Amino acid sequence: MEKLKRSLTGFLVPVLSILLAFVIGAIIMACLGANPFAAMAALFQGAFGTVASVGTTLNRASPLIFTALCACFAYKCGVFNLGGEGQFLIGATAAFCAVHLSGAKGIGGILLALLVGIAAGGLWGMIPGILKITRGLNEMIISIMLNYVATLFMGVIYTSWIRDANTPQTPSVDDTLKLSRVIPGMRFTWALIIALGVGLLLYYFLYWTSPGFKLRAVGLNMTASRFNGFPVNRYILMSFLISGAIAGLGGASDLLGTQFRLINGYGSGYGFDGVAMALIGQLHPIATIIVAIFFAALRVGATSMQVATGVPTSVSDIIQALVIVFSVAGMALTKLPEFEAFRLRVSGKKEKEGK
Amino acid sequence: MNLSAISSIILATVRMCVPVLLIALAELYSERAGMVNIGLEGLAAIGALAGFMLTYTTGSTWVGILAGAAAGILVNMIYAFATVSLCANHTVYGMAINLLAPALASFIYRVAFGNGSSLMQVELMRGIGIPGLKDIPFLGPLLFDQTPMVYLTFALVIFTSVFFNRSKAGLNYKSVGEHPKAAATLGINVTGTKYLSCVICGALAGIGGAYLTTCYSTTYTEGIVSGRGFIALAAVIFGRWTGGGVLLACLFFGLCDALQIRLQVSSLGVPYQFFQMIPYVATVVVLAIAGSKKAGPKANGKPYRKEER
Repeated sequence: MEKLKRSLTGFLVPVLSILLAFVIGAIIMACLGANPFAAMAALFQGAFGTVASVGTTLNRASPLIFTALCACFAYKCGVFNLGGEGQFLIGATAAFCAVHLSGAKGIGGILLALLVGIAAGGLWGMIPGILKITRGLNEMIISIMLNYVATLFMGVIYTSWIRDANTPQTPSVDDTLKLSRVIPGMRFTWALIIALGVGLLLYYFLYWTSPGFKLRAVGLNMTASRFNGFPVNRYILMSFLISGAIAGLGGASDLLGTQFRLINGYGSGYGFDGVAMALIGQLHPIATIIVAIFFAALRVGATSMQVATGVPTSVSDIIQALVIVFSVAGMALTKLPEFEAFRLRVSGKKEKEGK
Repeated sequence: MNLSAISSIILATVRMCVPVLLIALAELYSERAGMVNIGLEGLAAIGALAGFMLTYTTGSTWVGILAGAAAGILVNMIYAFATVSLCANHTVYGMAINLLAPALASFIYRVAFGNGSSLMQVELMRGIGIPGLKDIPFLGPLLFDQTPMVYLTFALVIFTSVFFNRSKAGLNYKSVGEHPKAAATLGINVTGTKYLSCVICGALAGIGGAYLTTCYSTTYTEGIVSGRGFIALAAVIFGRWTGGGVLLACLFFGLCDALQIRLQVSSLGVPYQFFQMIPYVATVVVLAIAGSKKAGPKANGKPYRKEER
């Protein structure tokens, strides 16, 4: 019963936060002189109105699911991996270089790209992990610094080393390497299926296996886990490796599925967005995926909203940020002793009335 | 390397170090009261926008600086309420600020200036030479012919050192970050001090952002803060949570930035991005050498609940 109540608050807080964020978003729209109801309608119409737009939304969600799962997995082990963006970009860059330099084609090329992406992302993710367990460094700062390094390194590739003639971008990957669409008429590719598969795998690993349990234990209480004889440092390193590998796989599959080439601004913001989605999803892999799809819908819809009502698309970023501002504060609020007392009083009253 | 090259690097170092220094001092005041705020990047972004807009409309850079401070305080009050009053996780909430503030900044910019193909520019703050000192050969023009913001920032470093080490108020302030329970039994207002620290942090980080658009770059672009908020976090750790240490750390990062720009200009056929990496790689290397998480305020990042034992 107590567990049920807790999962109910775990569900209610994000939902209420989303509603509250939309109310504030509507107020902002009204302040800009747009009809908020028309704008909201245009937003949802744009995201879910037709079969094609659902496909676009799901396609937009694919990379976000990867970075969100990347953040989610690391946090489950109690480490803050803010380097999802760097790991994503290193994965995409390495995958691109691998297929471009080897000239691999077809299904073999796809597998090569995905594997190289996993390896590159994982290794890139290991750096903050190694520095944390050997030198006791703050993993957040290191992983963010590595984001900038990864972005700049991608820049080296598309401006100097593998440049497409005059424009600062790389040539497109070979046509035989591009991931095909799963359902004709909908834009999402097999990248989404991979993303969902990774999510299910993480869920199984975290909640149904012994190492997954230990990993969560490390995340909940590192000192207690150490006294229990869990190899804490090994779990920390593993969580960095796997979370980096997830982001790297995301980069590689997004490159083959949607992006096709490295270009300025690619992947910008994916990492922090992933962090936000993982936090709103309460660090549960399945919930995180749902949140990622929701925010992808918000972005796809924002474009049609801008066309229809003139409200700038960046209002969707504000709504997203507000959701996390409210939901984190809300979760903290429900853990306060004052709130617990208030809840007991309210439910106590109800019981009395029942008698 | 001749003398003029060296002097131009020193000049650039001082110029580059100031915004990071302001943001790092913001974090220093915050962490000394036990508040780990990783939302500096966002606070600086909103400060940069407020500074730019107000300088653009009023024509006065000082109004811009004040606006930056006000914007930083306003946004940081959200963080303060959630972490002090609701005991939310500092890191997670700082991250929330990092998402909210830049989104807000870019939204306000779009609404105010449209999707702007035309370039909005402001006039930068002028340097003021200190009479007498600026005529010292070589060093004079480097150190005593800067904008007033530079002097104020360095004065703030001195004030900070004296405040934390030599004043009763400063020691009381630090005790909140070290052991809030003990501080409370001595009659220190722990919650009030924590809120105060957030006001100072918001103001300084906002000013750090506003410095970028009033003294450094004539335009506002998205991502103008470009990681300075996170480098400032590293500077506080590297500077061992003291005013002087933070100053040295920031001078080092300023030097990296200055060298980076210098090397880009004299590019030796190496892609310029490798030079741009220097400040970020230097941060990682320096932290790896300095190491240790054991230093710093003892109750850093921990929530304070009055009734809890």
